[in-house]
Amino acid sequence: MSSTKEKFNQISPSEFFYSNRDLAGFSNPTRSLYTAVREFVENALDACDQKGILPDVHLIIKAVEPEKPDPKPYILTVKDNGPGIDAEHIPLAFGTVLYGSKFGLKQARGMFGLGATMAILYGQITTNKPVIVKSSSDGKIQNQFEILLDIQKNKPVIVKHTTKEVSKTGLSVSICLEGDYSKAGNKIRDYVYETSLITPYASITFDDPKDQKFSHPRFVKEIPAPPTIIRPHPHGIDVERIRRMIVESQFEIPTIDDAMIEKVRKDLGLSVKKLNFTSIMEKAKKKWKTLPRQVRVVISLMSFLQMDFEKLIKIKIEDIDMPNKKLFYWDFGDSQLKSVDMDPESEYYKQLTNTIQGEPLTTFLTKRFQRVGPTTAVKFAEFAKFKPEKRMGTLTNQELVNLSDALQKFEDFMAPDSSCLAPLGAEPLEKGIKKFFNPAFVTVVQRPASAYSGFPFIIEMGIAYGGDIKSGGPHVYRYANRIPLLYDEGSDVVLKVVNDTDWGRYKVKGEPPFIIVSHICSTRIPYKTAGKENVADRQEIERELRLALQFLSRKLASFMSKRGQAEMAKKRANLYAKYIPMIAQFCTELAEKKKEPNYKKMLETEIASENKKAVEEENKIENN
Amino acid sequence: MKTTKKEQENKIKSRSKKADDKQKIILEILKTHGAKIYDDLENGQFPKFSIPSRSVSNIVYDKQLRQYILGNNAALRSSRNSAQLRSFTQLMWLAFFANRLTTERKSSTLRDVYYSSQAFAVEFEDQSESDNIIVDLEAVTSRAREDFHIFPEERSSIFGDLNIEYTIPGYEGKTMNLANHPDGYSIGPSLTTAELVDTSAEIVIAIEKGGLFTRFVEEQVDKKFKSIIINTGGQAPRSTRTLLKRLHDEMKLPVICLTDGDVYGEHIAMVIKSGSANAAHLRELTVPDAKWVGVWATDIEKYKLPTIPMTESDIKRCYDLQKDPRYQDGIWKKELDVFLKLKRKAELEAFSKYGLTNITDKYLPQKLELAKSL
Repeated sequence: MSSTKEKFNQISPSEFFYSNRDLAGFSNPTRSLYTAVREFVENALDACDQKGILPDVHLIIKAVEPEKPDPKPYILTVKDNGPGIDAEHIPLAFGTVLYGSKFGLKQARGMFGLGATMAILYGQITTNKPVIVKSSSDGKIQNQFEILLDIQKNKPVIVKHTTKEVSKTGLSVSICLEGDYSKAGNKIRDYVYETSLITPYASITFDDPKDQKFSHPRFVKEIPAPPTIIRPHPHGIDVERIRRMIVESQFEIPTIDDAMIEKVRKDLGLSVKKLNFTSIMEKAKKKWKTLPRQVRVVISLMSFLQMDFEKLIKIKIEDIDMPNKKLFYWDFGDSQLKSVDMDPESEYYKQLTNTIQGEPLTTFLTKRFQRVGPTTAVKFAEFAKFKPEKRMGTLTNQELVNLSDALQKFEDFMAPDSSCLAPLGAEPLEKGIKKFFNPAFVTVVQRPASAYSGFPFIIEMGIAYGGDIKSGGPHVYRYANRIPLLYDEGSDVVLKVVNDTDWGRYKVKGEPPFIIVSHICSTRIPYKTAGKENVADRQEIERELRLALQFLSRKLASFMSKRGQAEMAKKRANLYAKYIPMIAQFCTELAEKKKEPNYKKMLETEIASENKKAVEEENKIENN
Repeated sequence: MKTTKKEQENKIKSRSKKADDKQKIILEILKTHGAKIYDDLENGQFPKFSIPSRSVSNIVYDKQLRQYILGNNAALRSSRNSAQLRSFTQLMWLAFFANRLTTERKSSTLRDVYYSSQAFAVEFEDQSESDNIIVDLEAVTSRAREDFHIFPEERSSIFGDLNIEYTIPGYEGKTMNLANHPDGYSIGPSLTTAELVDTSAEIVIAIEKGGLFTRFVEEQVDKKFKSIIINTGGQAPRSTRTLLKRLHDEMKLPVICLTDGDVYGEHIAMVIKSGSANAAHLRELTVPDAKWVGVWATDIEKYKLPTIPMTESDIKRCYDLQKDPRYQDGIWKKELDVFLKLKRKAELEAFSKYGLTNITDKYLPQKLELAKSL
């Protein structure tokens, strides 16, 4: 009998994504080309946003062999004027999966910079060509890399590395991938067009494979305030996240060796002086607040051991038993294990407890979360049935779960801080809509920040009517974190809200020339799928969308009614001019009269009065 | 001889005078309305007029008149109201057009009206819009469209010993006996406006179907039962109802109706007798003494007629009519109830099961006898 031994191999992240690439939007040549464009353009914009640089993004797609029918290999290049990436980080950033710089909690287009690596991976799989990265982070030297990915090891393989002199910073990424431009072209052009609407401070150009140039120059000169990185909100947290935070908050007892003793002496300002135990303790007490944690721990141990530096060198700490308040150490001189009792009332005892058992619950909450003050922390502890001074390091698994649950349920936390969000702003949005659609009417609104499950979000919305807008509306332009959402619109929460609206109530009828621009900004957009194309209908988001749309619709209704009145007045004037003479003609024959009745003066007065009304209503619209 | 001829001439004169008088009355009505509009304009005002409301809430059944009539609600139509201006103009044009038709004694169909409007730059979206305006004119003037020489396309026919004399231009004074042509005479504008001179008939039989009409002519029902036979062609057109009324009022002839044995047949008879809600604004279209003699629901069993099941819409129609005030008593109620009970119906042709002439030989005589007691 042959032994059939099952093999359990750990696969690398690269391998995982290689076998699950449809999850990330690389399911076929059409979708893949579009997704790759998105990932690189969004990375370029994010890089510029983070450094407050007005972005110049240049997108080029070229067929390797233009005569071949689609699908075929294309070279996709995206250049930006952003901060660039240091040469040392480039191989890892472009040659491994899950290496990113975007792991903070703030609004950005992409979460981890994963998508770009996926695009590179997809390019390599389909064409076996390396990614070409040109980067200058100092504005003087440009590093040029050709990199392949070792999929199994999740490691970059540098094929070529050269440098050259340049005059400005920026990044250029170029990959060769199998794509279908004849099918993806429309979406890509729409994407570029819609991106430039929500990024009016960026200049975006696109050279397509058919030698067409699409240029969207910037028309807003100010870049919106960049978002700040913030601590998490208690509502947006789970058990695993708490566990990691506790690990971060705990410290090990430092090894007391010559180097450590030297550091303690230096921090106490005793580099040259020799002091006895009591004097050392006095000195330490005075400087306590300025001392680093490690030094404080060493001093605390010394206080229980009643030893100066000379003696301290000759022992090794074996164990610190907090519950039994005993400190065990090995004495090299006597070759014996010894112990001392620790006074629980002492300040030093507290210091050691903090280090070994972690922070008390209340400190943990106020220090590591946003929107939690000391009073709220105590209230929460009571709500969650924990002692406020409960040490985080001593929580059992069950207690962790209870804590996590309680954090979700406690309702007295203030709403999440929205400083991590970067909405576009009402003014640039309005400018963008005006420039793109040249409408007869436009109005925009930015809702105050709100939150779902501890994640803050802001809704920005604009609606425009008439002018150059095509009829058949409302056409909805959906954005999330400044990304246009083009696919899978059927199940999106924004469309749900739009479709639920009874437009007749707002005097919008038939197939109106009418657009809606909706922008959801959040630290986490609740996408329905990994492809990031439609937003799930979270109750809080749906509510804010509704409020925004209602606010705008009411303004639109007022415009429509003024416009309707102006139109009606004009229409009445026309109708009178057309029909009254006919009535006069018919009734003259009926009444057997020779001459038509004298109605002209009455008609002229009436027409003049209606035309005046029309002008007045139009002026009202202008003045709004 | 001479005197007879002179008498004849006098008679003709008096008849054409009657037609002239009617024409004068119509023209006078139109003139009055036109003059009012003219005066409004002359005084620098937007012309307006009032029109009886034809909404369902204003249609009431008048027990004395035994027909539906319009209530007292009226609407004001003003040319100042831009929503009404177009239809106001359309109605003015129609009055103007009707005035020309009446003056020139020319007739026109509903469809003609729709097309004629285009010569005057008065637009109608479609014929149903122009038909509607024609009803407006009827409502404002309380006159049927036929008085304005406007006729529907639908034709029914008449056969029997009845002498008529035409009044339409070109035929004035010409007479005709309506038993001269076995296919019958179609009831159009010339017949509707003709004078009824004399008849040997003692009864008018209105029958729902053309096939049976031909059978009745073949079987000489006109001679055997001294009758005038009229084919209503389903629901009787207005001109036919007008003629029925005139035969009853002017020639003092009783009118009986013979229809299919179903709820629609029963209602065809009812409309001849007491009009329809659609024409509640008119009062010259009913024969309140008309009698429905069959085919009744009770006849189905009595004569063992072959039947077909009622459809959903037949049954629904029964329930609708049960709410109609005219179906609250007498045979109208009784037969309706039996139809609902049987849920089956029988056509006039069902009698053919017992021979083609069974209906004229057996059924008709019995029903005519019965009619005397109804």
